[in-house]
Amino acid sequence: MECVFGLVGDGFAVIVADTSAVHSILVHKSNEDKIMILDSHKLLGVSGEAGDRAQFTEYIQKNVHLYQFRNGIALTTAAAANFTRGELATALRKNPYFVNILLAGYEKDIGPSLYYIDYIATLHKIDKGAFGYGSYFALSLMDRHYHSGMSLAEAIDLVDKCITEIRSRLVVAPPNFLIKIVDKDGAKEFAWRESISQA
Amino acid sequence: MEFPKDKTKISKEDIIASLFDFMEYLFNVVLFLMSKLLASQTVKKIIEINPYMIGTMAGGAADCQFWHRNLGIKCRLHELANKRRISVTGASKLLANILYSYRGMGLSVGTMIAGWDETGPGLYYVDSEGGRLKGKRFSVGSGSPYAYAVLDSGYRFDLSIEEAAELARRAIYHATFRDGASGGVASVYYVGPDGWKKLSGDDVGELHYKYHPVVTSSVEQEMAEAPVA
Amino acid sequence: MSRRYDSRTTIFSPEGRLYQVEYAMEAIGNAGSAIGILATDGVVLVGEKKVTSKLLQTSKSTEKMYKIDDHLACAVAGIMSDANILINTARVQAQRYTFAYQEPMPVEQLVQSLCDTKQGYTQFGGLRPFGVSFLFAGWDSNFGFQLYMSDPSGNYSGWKAAAIGANNQAAQSMLKQDYKEDVGREEAVQLALKVLSKTMDSTSLTADKLELAEIFLLPSGEVKYQVCSSEGLTKLLVKSGVTQPSAESA
Repeated sequence: MECVFGLVGDGFAVIVADTSAVHSILVHKSNEDKIMILDSHKLLGVSGEAGDRAQFTEYIQKNVHLYQFRNGIALTTAAAANFTRGELATALRKNPYFVNILLAGYEKDIGPSLYYIDYIATLHKIDKGAFGYGSYFALSLMDRHYHSGMSLAEAIDLVDKCITEIRSRLVVAPPNFLIKIVDKDGAKEFAWRESISQA
Repeated sequence: MEFPKDKTKISKEDIIASLFDFMEYLFNVVLFLMSKLLASQTVKKIIEINPYMIGTMAGGAADCQFWHRNLGIKCRLHELANKRRISVTGASKLLANILYSYRGMGLSVGTMIAGWDETGPGLYYVDSEGGRLKGKRFSVGSGSPYAYAVLDSGYRFDLSIEEAAELARRAIYHATFRDGASGGVASVYYVGPDGWKKLSGDDVGELHYKYHPVVTSSVEQEMAEAPVA
Repeated sequence: MSRRYDSRTTIFSPEGRLYQVEYAMEAIGNAGSAIGILATDGVVLVGEKKVTSKLLQTSKSTEKMYKIDDHLACAVAGIMSDANILINTARVQAQRYTFAYQEPMPVEQLVQSLCDTKQGYTQFGGLRPFGVSFLFAGWDSNFGFQLYMSDPSGNYSGWKAAAIGANNQAAQSMLKQDYKEDVGREEAVQLALKVLSKTMDSTSLTADKLELAEIFLLPSGEVKYQVCSSEGLTKLLVKSGVTQPSAESA
């Protein structure tokens, strides 16, 4: 089942997500990208209903872009997180989106940051977090091994620990994971962790 | 187990489609479609969006048919407005956005949009829950897990059109064999650079005998005449 | 001739003019003036209060300076009743932005949103334009200290030093003459008082005819909006030598 987790390191933030598109007992796809690149320095890792995920993240992305076009400046990560939370909260009592979000970003003067937004529009600024069944393993592992100012190598090592644990202990574990990072140079794909490949 | 040859009930239907990419210089799309036997046996379970794009139907037949035709109109209007055919990406997104806007209102659509556009072949899975996936092969409907298993076991990237068509046909056959709600005709379509073409349409009951020919075995024991009391 | 075109805001005259908008600008030309100067460490706003009668009780608080948000203030020239409406919408806009983003609204965005409102009144039927010009002074994390000027047409622009209201053209050209790059707030205040004293109609510049507000950063990094007291103003006037202590105080 779905796993999205992330953490903040020294000068970067990382988001990891499984890449399975599941419908009841079927895995329709095992290379689905669930981490959207919001703008040059923001990542949006999302778990939740497939339709909502696509619609909501795209809506947020387009609005973040619109803000940039209108005002010639980019939203800060904090502003984008609060905006996203607000949109989720507005929709909550009308036609709720079932999406859980990790938003990572990088600012020149602030550095990397990570925000937790769940489907009932709770917002937290965090330095590590996780959603889905994988969170039971990822959260405790990150609590155990996380420390502030982790290097990229240390962080990826921890991420791999989480992936290994999820794969070995979670009964409905997804096979493949995607890792994206954001740092001073921007948001980008970092690596895939595939145990089965889809031709 | 005997295959029910004359199912006339219109319930869930199975449409299983799959797409293969072939050699890079010869991109071809093959779409496998199995349509459940209907009273008429001739109802089209594939909507021809344009000569280069087709859609499969699973779920509510009326919902599928209506929204596929609606999509056909939108694609034609796009063509007139932009002087070029709509991309498969675009068409599938049009449909997904419409279905998403009706989410929770009872529509039942499970479909694949397959076609050929400026970027080559394209295949998308779209459903009434708002889901939309891009992929190399999909299977939709109640028998889809059975079909997936057969499809996955025989799939290679460099399958020829004939091999791909046969693999798909078998996948459908095995799905209809195991799935009580599936049956009818296994149609195989293919979409290439010059548009779609129907390759075959076999009654799965006949396919059963093709894949499992009746072997005449010697009679081990004749039934004895009951002795007259 | 112009009668046919100046009764409606929505119609261009054959010469391509919008008379009502021009009249609105004319109205501002009679109002008390205001000067804004951008300094390295802040923004200075100085305004002239028109004392129409000796019996009139001048407002205890400011008449021409309004705080819009913690990091943003404006000076007004024109019809005050119109200005009040705009200031209110500006304050609402600023709070809406903070509600959505939990961050102070960038200065130019606030100015732009207000000017969108102003523009609407020059175009949509049956309305008259706002007879108000503004000087906006503010600070944001993207562009630091900023000074903007806007007019009834909805045009706005950023300035290092700007003047609105009565004799604004004279004031503007004086500013152009005397403005020096990289001035501090103190120097900016001196310059503003000097320009105002020369362009004002009344003969003597006294504290009760003046308003002075500044926006600057506290050592903590917090943005501060500060209005100068009457006593402070008197001292400043004496210091800058623009007032003749003999005239009224004697």
